[in-house]
Amino acid sequence: MSITEPLRHTVPNRVIPVLGVLALALVWLLDLGTIQPNRIVPGTGHGLLSALGWTGAGLVTGVLLATTVLSMVPVRRRYELLLGLIGLSLATMPLLLDVFAALHLPEGSPYARSSVGAGFWSLLFLLSLMLIETLGRLSARRWLQLMLLVFVGGSWLVFLRGEGLESLSLVREFNARPDKFQQALWTHLALALGAVAISAGLAFALALKMIRSPAWQRPLLGAVSFLQTIPSLAVFGLLIAPLSALSSALPFLQDLGIRGIGWAPALLALIAYSLLPMVRNTFVAITEVPESLADAARGMGMNEHQVFFQLKLPLALPVIIEGVRITTIQAIGLTAVAALIGAGGFGGFIFQGLGQAAMDLVLLGALPTIALALLADALLTMLAASLKPTPATA
Amino acid sequence: MIELKNVSRHFGNTIAVDGVNLTIETGEVCVLVGSSGCGKSTTLRMINRLLPYSAGEILVDGEDITTMNPEQLRLNMGYVIQGTGLFPHWTVARNIAMVPTLLNWPRERINARVDELMTLLDLDPSAHANKYPQQLSGGQAQRVGVARALAADPNILLMDEPFGALDAITRENLQLEMLRIQKQVRKTTVFVTHDIDEALKLATRIAVMDQGRIIQHDTPENILRHPASDFVENLIGKQDRGLKLMSLRPVRDLMANHTEPRQSEPGEHVLREEDSVRLALSVMLWQDLRQVAVFNAQEQETGVITRERIIQEGV
Repeated sequence: MSITEPLRHTVPNRVIPVLGVLALALVWLLDLGTIQPNRIVPGTGHGLLSALGWTGAGLVTGVLLATTVLSMVPVRRRYELLLGLIGLSLATMPLLLDVFAALHLPEGSPYARSSVGAGFWSLLFLLSLMLIETLGRLSARRWLQLMLLVFVGGSWLVFLRGEGLESLSLVREFNARPDKFQQALWTHLALALGAVAISAGLAFALALKMIRSPAWQRPLLGAVSFLQTIPSLAVFGLLIAPLSALSSALPFLQDLGIRGIGWAPALLALIAYSLLPMVRNTFVAITEVPESLADAARGMGMNEHQVFFQLKLPLALPVIIEGVRITTIQAIGLTAVAALIGAGGFGGFIFQGLGQAAMDLVLLGALPTIALALLADALLTMLAASLKPTPATA
Repeated sequence: MIELKNVSRHFGNTIAVDGVNLTIETGEVCVLVGSSGCGKSTTLRMINRLLPYSAGEILVDGEDITTMNPEQLRLNMGYVIQGTGLFPHWTVARNIAMVPTLLNWPRERINARVDELMTLLDLDPSAHANKYPQQLSGGQAQRVGVARALAADPNILLMDEPFGALDAITRENLQLEMLRIQKQVRKTTVFVTHDIDEALKLATRIAVMDQGRIIQHDTPENILRHPASDFVENLIGKQDRGLKLMSLRPVRDLMANHTEPRQSEPGEHVLREEDSVRLALSVMLWQDLRQVAVFNAQEQETGVITRERIIQEGV
């Protein structure tokens, strides 16, 4: 942070007031939630006041006003206070849905359900942005960020598991198929992370090959770039024919579960897509270690093995991890599409929901996919930051 | 002792080093000097086999270096380069400990050695040992570079324009430091520079190189007095020679000794026995004196040096 300690308390923040006012406007203008008589029929929306009553609406408005004002007045430990306030608000947001369901759900109608409205999503999104801004201003430690994430995530899980939110459409969809959800989670993770792991190993070998024999650079980079340009659906489709031919020719492959559709073509396609960012980052990271350093290392008596493992790899690692991060996020997203060729995962819920025009089922697939991607992003960013060669180089 | 016998290196049609013969005696500082592209760096890098040579042979203590394992050869040769080449992801202490670690010294011995070297190079271990190279000034970083080269007490020190990227004041300080350290450790040193003043100051013998050949190999005084060619004469500066010779000569040579050292109060800028005649003359000219008192290291006045004597015999 360039702002020095005494100044940090006196300079009014400009980001949080904008977000706060925007949140206030959206939460009053948009529907906080809707009540549906059953799964398919469109529901009736409820604004903030109608959804929560005067007490609830007043509380939400009060919190948003408080953050806005607090961010502008020069109080000591202002950002610490803001962090507490915003963190607590985020953690207790499901309580709003709880109250909403209790107030509006008709008694004795088992198919009626409540669902989340645009106002609630806006509030969640804007509060998260405020949290990120506050963390940035505090230049908060990584463990604090992680603890906050665990606290908010844990609180949401507790609320969603609780009785008050049983009527929430998302929870309904989940409760209708808890086993399938768990299976989808594992399939999704196994496919995405498996593809990342395999392509990381492959990319490392390819990058080393390119460094040892420069003649391979152009054709290899060309090939992996070409793989990246094919539309993902086309790759999934293209793999069906050769894989089914292969598996009918070789029966033992069938026993392994390798067929034209299913996990095998999905994994292959995901690996193909992961190769470009992995190979490029690994190659660039290793070749960009200054030759003068390698020269000094050799001159001091290091052999090539030592130069690579003690000098080049440690200096290249943050950039390589960056490649892994990009690839992981991309693979988690693409795995959702792979459901089209029967690979399973959260994509299954999305396409099923689209087919049944059940938006809540789509959300049940989409939200965990987004959450996984964000989680992977956060964890790998932290890993890369902790591997930075020195504290002095920002 | 390092011997280069008729060593050449060409790539394609260009000749980088052309039939170099050079003997560097044990404990002497041999400075290779010349303009850029004259082959001085290439010559240095052939001695530790970072570059191969096309013809001739190089012997270290009588042994042909091509028969040795290159890593083993280099572990016994300290190597200092321009811009330090320190590992940015290692602390100062770990950088200095590099070669001892490669040689599998026990931990305590390495730690003791790192402390010893940092003290020798005027770096406070408690303040700097755990810093990273980027947190040091240019001069400090190059001191660490020199400490790293000396770490495993090698017999030979190879220095490739080590002070080239430093500002004038820092460079001068490090040159003095190097003279002081060299008096203590007496390494056989090959030092590459394009700065003739640096060469005159540090060298036991200077090898002047041009277009891959050695034009003249002699002591600084002989190079100044009898330059072998116009090229050498231009390099040392035709008009400037008198003063350069004076800076090679210590005051001790020309002073009139007192019969007995006297106790007297040395002023703020004292002249010492080991200072150069050039400095003595400069002091006299600036303060408009006919003579100056000379002191020894124990702060005793041991004699005087006169302006007349310098003018008559200074060169």
